[in-house]
Amino acid sequence: MAEEAIGVEHLEKVYPGGVRAVQGISFSVGSGELFGFLGPNGAGKTTTISMLTTLLRPTSGRALVAGIDVATRPREVRSRIGLVFQDSTADGELTGRENMELAAGLFGMSLREARAQIDDLLASMDLADAADRRVKGYSGGMKRRLELAVAVVHTPQILFLDEPTIGLDPQGRAGFWEYIQRLRKEKQVTIFMTTHYLDEVENLCERVAIIDHGKIVAMGTNDALKERVGGDEVEVRLAAGAPDLTGELTAVDGAREVTRDGSVYHVKTPRGETLVPSLVKACDRAGVAVEGIRVLRPSLDRVFLGLTGRAYREEGYDEGRASSSSAFTPRRGG
Amino acid sequence: MLQGLGALLRRRFVRWTRAPTWIVAGLLTPLLYLLLFGQAFDLGKLVPANPLAQAGLRSAIQGAPDYFSYFALGMVGMVAVTSALFSGTGVIFDKQLGILQRTIATPVRRSTIFLSELLFYSFLVVLPILIVLGLSLVFAHVPGLVGLSVTEHVGWLGALEVLVAILVLSIAFTSLFLSFGFLLSRPESYFGVVNLLNLPLLFTSNALFPKGTSPGWLQSITAYNPISLAVNVMRETFFGTAYYPYPSYIYLFGLLGWALALSGLALLLASRALRVK
Repeated sequence: MAEEAIGVEHLEKVYPGGVRAVQGISFSVGSGELFGFLGPNGAGKTTTISMLTTLLRPTSGRALVAGIDVATRPREVRSRIGLVFQDSTADGELTGRENMELAAGLFGMSLREARAQIDDLLASMDLADAADRRVKGYSGGMKRRLELAVAVVHTPQILFLDEPTIGLDPQGRAGFWEYIQRLRKEKQVTIFMTTHYLDEVENLCERVAIIDHGKIVAMGTNDALKERVGGDEVEVRLAAGAPDLTGELTAVDGAREVTRDGSVYHVKTPRGETLVPSLVKACDRAGVAVEGIRVLRPSLDRVFLGLTGRAYREEGYDEGRASSSSAFTPRRGG
Repeated sequence: MLQGLGALLRRRFVRWTRAPTWIVAGLLTPLLYLLLFGQAFDLGKLVPANPLAQAGLRSAIQGAPDYFSYFALGMVGMVAVTSALFSGTGVIFDKQLGILQRTIATPVRRSTIFLSELLFYSFLVVLPILIVLGLSLVFAHVPGLVGLSVTEHVGWLGALEVLVAILVLSIAFTSLFLSFGFLLSRPESYFGVVNLLNLPLLFTSNALFPKGTSPGWLQSITAYNPISLAVNVMRETFFGTAYYPYPSYIYLFGLLGWALALSGLALLLASRALRVK
């Protein structure tokens, strides 16, 4: 973290009508970082990203993007950032190349200075062959890649991605992330992304902030967050009919909490791997054979549950919404 | 700033050239108007051939040599309205598609966004007007067709005045409908409003009928209608000043006032719509 790309202090947004969508959040993102902003729908992710990208005025607090205050000098912020929206915003009647030329012009570049950059980006997003076809004929994945290319045509310092993979199938999502990584390597761009896919932040982001009901409930590296909810769990499976070893296992240095389910024990610990030898030794000392042992890493799913007391999906992303809306959908025919 | 304006205008023109239906329909409309309305009915034929009655007709159609010549210049006003109806659709659909949001997220100036819309859609109004005017003038020399007969000597200055009137009228109506594009967010609302305004604008003007036929209250509205003002400038230039209380530049100034007021309104609504909340 050389310098600060984004600095947010007590940022707040109250919508007309009194909804406090973002309630005084503070965080910072270092230059070159890939920072994930995770939360369920309606948590305040899009409101936050809109304030950072000057599309929404903060009610109070301060946000510096590339060192510039978003509230007082929005135009300067706009020329230093790139933005990928949830939905495709390319003009379907224009070709991919024309969409990029449009974006370049809006950022004050002349066509001549933009041309080489556009060719490079189209090639690196694997759109060179489709460059002169109209975007309305593009596949979903191609449209997403074009959004990426358009967002960085002016070489921004910071790239904002607002739920960029929404609507893509798992394969499309994986592919899209490869392009993000490629772009990151080629352009050394800082990336701030919002998502409600836990696996995306788990696998890709270096640091994560979890937002819920307009407040940041946790922030840190993936590992640090997992440690906060009790870290790993080691599952020890003993032979059937073995004596109760709860006391012996609890006594092992580093074990926090032991639960027993028949001959299977779950030992909570900050660091799973380092505890395995001690646990095996403890069982040996008691003269009981260990049949199996494995380390269970907590997922951000569990982190979310531990921090908010709710399962991540509870608030109903797809499944919840689909089932609740179907209750109101009148049946056809009959 | 010029790069931004150029990029936005290029997008509009590229979209236009890729929609042949739009182009053909847009240009065919005024042609049909001229061929059907213009050639089909001639109010002059309803008037007896005696000199007194003919003089009365001449006075009613304010010095035009015949009804078609009177009507052809009114057609300019009609085409201005019907072509300007679409001026707000670009903004409306950009709002729907998120393209406007994407544009706002760039450092391009808000006034540049407004200017690009005004320039492009004014072009779409001026173009068919020039076609209508050009065709009517040509028709006058085609055997079997009625055309626009110019009775006055129109010098460079007169021609310039007519062109300025066309330009200013186009900007006024483009601004009017652009205002609704920026004000409203749904296509349904937009077309509702446009439909509401379209005919009243036309029928409170002296574009198609001599204003002598309407009641007094309507006549005073007619006098200030921007279409009437533009049409007066053209009729005075082409048919002489005898039947008009004011010289043509007075009408031109009135028209300019409308254009300034309406483009000011449109700019205001644009900056409101493009402002960060």
